[in-house]
Amino acid sequence: MTGRPYRPEPFAAAVTGIGLVTAAGAGTEATWREVSAPSAAPSVPHRPELHGLPCDFMYTITGLDPRELLGVATARLMDRFSQLAVVAAREAVADAGLDPSAWDAGRVAVVIGSAHGGLPFYDEQHTTLTERGARRVSPKLAPLTVVNGAASSVATDLGALGPSQAVSTACSSGTVALGTAHQMLRTGACDIVVAGGAESVCSRLLIASACRLKAVSTRRDAPETACRPFDIHRDGFVVGEGAGLLVLERPEHARARGATVRAHVAGYGAASDAYSAVAPDPGGLGIERALRSALADAGLGAGDIGHVNAHGTSTVANDLIEATMLRRVLGEHPLVTSTKAMTGHTLGAAGGIETALTVLALQHRLVPPTVNLDAPDPAIPVDVVRKEARPGLFDAAVKTSLGFGGHNAALVLTRA
Amino acid sequence: MSTAEEINTLLVANFGTDPLAIRPEVSLRHLRLDSLALEELRLLIEDRMGIDLDDVQLTSRDTVGQLVDAVHRKAAA
Repeated sequence: MTGRPYRPEPFAAAVTGIGLVTAAGAGTEATWREVSAPSAAPSVPHRPELHGLPCDFMYTITGLDPRELLGVATARLMDRFSQLAVVAAREAVADAGLDPSAWDAGRVAVVIGSAHGGLPFYDEQHTTLTERGARRVSPKLAPLTVVNGAASSVATDLGALGPSQAVSTACSSGTVALGTAHQMLRTGACDIVVAGGAESVCSRLLIASACRLKAVSTRRDAPETACRPFDIHRDGFVVGEGAGLLVLERPEHARARGATVRAHVAGYGAASDAYSAVAPDPGGLGIERALRSALADAGLGAGDIGHVNAHGTSTVANDLIEATMLRRVLGEHPLVTSTKAMTGHTLGAAGGIETALTVLALQHRLVPPTVNLDAPDPAIPVDVVRKEARPGLFDAAVKTSLGFGGHNAALVLTRA
Repeated sequence: MSTAEEINTLLVANFGTDPLAIRPEVSLRHLRLDSLALEELRLLIEDRMGIDLDDVQLTSRDTVGQLVDAVHRKAAA
């Protein structure tokens, strides 16, 4: 029952590049600036596609049109989640100082998580089928909607010839993708992995279902403050779109080329609840096993962890279960935050975006605030950073993710 | 707008094709129109011109001129 795995030698993958496209900002620096010191309310417009639904708003990227950036010829074979992934991948690779025309392409892998892939195009084409008939359905349905669309688009755009794959474990997809990348580097399957998550699901079909499930906030009168992780008045998550990709490298590869290392992915753990299709294990036992496994993988103890970027979705169940688990495993000292109130819940992209933010928190030794946390839930037993960012002298941090279906994952990150 | 102009417009707007590269003797393959792109183009032409190209055979080896002729015959029928 312990699920204690065989432990290979410790392995710390170097994080040498970050690419971020979020509702908080187009680009890594823009996102970090806004997440760590919010200058304005987040961008959570009412979306015409969702008109009439109990939740008709969504964290939306503004100030960047990926179709324009990539050009029609490149963008036409990608749904929006893949376009965002390619934009983030280009930034991550440039940030790493890598030149795709000069690298050993066969040693470069791509692993990108997504929960729903090209669901918006599926949604649109289903309407076409029912309203205009089978002959009007686009031949692009399969290539645009498959969950591996982002991975294949990024591999194609970068000319990466190593293994490329999608990971789909609902809202932990991005974290599991990074954990998979860590394992691939450890085995020597490749030298470089571009990994993380991408999602963009402004789909009437999906949000209608999420409303019925009562998983999303229905604060239509105040979308900017609807996502309020760990707050006593939280009433559900708010969907967001975005992509967060990291360049991970075998440490000797990064060293040999003189790369600047932002941080290390020192440990990874994953575990299943085997409990429910949608609800987390009430005792948080699955995410606890994942976290303990990640700590053991990194060879670190609870006292070493100074910061947690929590899953913190703003649902009643998740936040209480996760926070209680964090207190049990790590104690009361880590500075905990949920950055979802600035980015939205980007589902399969969340682990990628939030791991990137954890790397930046380690670099800056600064924990971003949990925005909209006005009335802390007294049942939440951890130190959640609110109002403004808080500095801390921590050398190791944790990213936790929980996915529908009971897919739990945790990463341990350390300062370079 | 002539049939050729209609097709040029679709190619530039939907496939990012260089307008200067669209010449009658150029093959569709040369314009990077693979089998998937050709089926997409078929739907776009049908929608834009209100015609049915279901029985028109299109391959990447065909030229722009052959495509324009085929569409023109259907439009005129």
